Amino acid sequence: MSDLFIVDDLTVTFPTSRGPVEVVKNLSFTVGRDDTLGIVGESGSGKSMTALAVLGLLPRGAQTSGSVRLDGTELLGKSERDLRAVRGNAISMVFQDPLSSLNPYYTVGLQISEMYQTHQGGSRRAAKQVAIEALERVGIPDPERRVDHYPHQFSGGQRQRVMIAMALCCSPSLLIADEPTTALDVTVQAQILELLAELQSTTGTGMIFITHDLAVISSIAQRVLVMREGDPVEYGTAEQVFSDPQHEYTRMLLDAVPRIDDEVPA
Amino acid sequence: MTRYVLGRLGSVVLILLAVCLFTYLIFFKLSPDPAVMICGKTCTPDRINSIRDVLGLNQPILTQFWEFLRGIFAGRQYGSVHCPAPCLGYSFQTNESVWSMITARLPVSITVAVGAAVLWLLAGVIGGLVSAVKQGTWWDRTAMALALGGVSIPNYVLALLLQYVLVVKLQVLPFPSAVPFADNPVLWFESYLMPWVVLAVGYACLYARLTRSNVIDTLSENYFRTARAKGLSGSLIMRRHALRPALTPITTIFGMDFAGLLGGALITETVFGLNGIGKMAADSIAKNDQPVIMAVTLLAAFFVVIGNVVVDLLYTALDPRVRVVSS
Repeated sequence: MSDLFIVDDLTVTFPTSRGPVEVVKNLSFTVGRDDTLGIVGESGSGKSMTALAVLGLLPRGAQTSGSVRLDGTELLGKSERDLRAVRGNAISMVFQDPLSSLNPYYTVGLQISEMYQTHQGGSRRAAKQVAIEALERVGIPDPERRVDHYPHQFSGGQRQRVMIAMALCCSPSLLIADEPTTALDVTVQAQILELLAELQSTTGTGMIFITHDLAVISSIAQRVLVMREGDPVEYGTAEQVFSDPQHEYTRMLLDAVPRIDDEVPA
Repeated sequence: MTRYVLGRLGSVVLILLAVCLFTYLIFFKLSPDPAVMICGKTCTPDRINSIRDVLGLNQPILTQFWEFLRGIFAGRQYGSVHCPAPCLGYSFQTNESVWSMITARLPVSITVAVGAAVLWLLAGVIGGLVSAVKQGTWWDRTAMALALGGVSIPNYVLALLLQYVLVVKLQVLPFPSAVPFADNPVLWFESYLMPWVVLAVGYACLYARLTRSNVIDTLSENYFRTARAKGLSGSLIMRRHALRPALTPITTIFGMDFAGLLGGALITETVFGLNGIGKMAADSIAKNDQPVIMAVTLLAAFFVVIGNVVVDLLYTALDPRVRVVSS
């Protein structure tokens, strides 16, 4: 498994009135082709900041150090213009809340095709065709008609399918899914996870799957990174981390997952 | 959609009818007797009575209101005076039908309102947008401080100040007058420039602050972050994913403000001596010329109600979420 994506000693710092605060500290990990890395941790552990830092989407004032390489190309320190060519094209992102992450003023077709046109060019008609095919691939029924619908006309699960269709329309090398199932109910969650796994196996896209839900990670990731307050706490294969956790915090997280054979408290 | 439009138009008719009734009751029942006002200084009870007869004031109030409504569509006779349709009343002080007074002055008010609206939209929206994009910089702080100042300056103070500086001292502009565009376009522009600016300043400052806060809100929306994560160009992101969502709510406010102005910019027109609806309202209030005051009130209400409907319909075109609910 060759390493597609290498993050080395990544640190993200925010200036505050009480001095600089490190929200991600000395983070290192790799993602191979076809590989899924699960990043897990509580809210505020720096998971999402890591994803945003990779794409240069951090809020104004944030500073990054270290190295982020995709296929050997360094991304940290690239100009905004160069990063735009990477975003959505080589590295795509799926966000947590699909309703607020899609623009309510435009049809899903336009939102997919504008991204395709930006990176691949071509006519509006061709881009719309790509959008229809992308919707079909993620299992949206009647895509020719649905392509002209607005986000609020889709169910929660379908919206997330639209987000995934959009993220994959330019065939990226790496997909970052930031809590993509958190806003969905459990049955829809399972469908989305299944879809992501299936698409990954057909496209060969590397994936970073960010979640606070260990159960989700265990079903999808080959490697796991546990984060706490910006620190990488534990990093290893999913099997290692789940069967033989080395760090007290990981054990605590694993113990917090309710199990079906748990005794009911009196 | 058609049902929605028809429904809205139906409600417009009802609202206008209610406005007519209330305005009629207020002006003809709660204010001084119009017959006494018309009668003048050498008045006798007999004369008052005959005026009341001519005006139909001796009839029951609902009959009077019906006559008033009928006059709008069919015209009306006041003794020997004929008021052709649409008759909104007759001013015995100027010996003119109120409708002809309105039609003579409306073009001036429309010119003032349209010119000012163009200015304040351009200045307000562009200023607010630049401030939002350059949030926290010296430009933003200066622009917003100026906007606060601009909102705080009363119209008439700014009008007098500009007149003194530009007309009296520097003599770069003529004193405003209602020059028709066809007569002399340059003089027309110069004449209206000050009223436009005076009227636009307050609105422009308000719109700049509104635009700024709306754009800043939009920049923190998740879909704006998505647009950036998609690698779209800066101009496409701003145009499509920031401006449209940020400016849509402004159309509501603009529709209301503009419609309000069509009913006459009372202070600006009066200060500059422009013979528009606003000045006519001020003059008729000073002379207590009730048919005119009432007609101006009705006209203003008409514009506001119509403005509201236009905004509602426009909103369904601008925001797809409203479109679905409305259809």
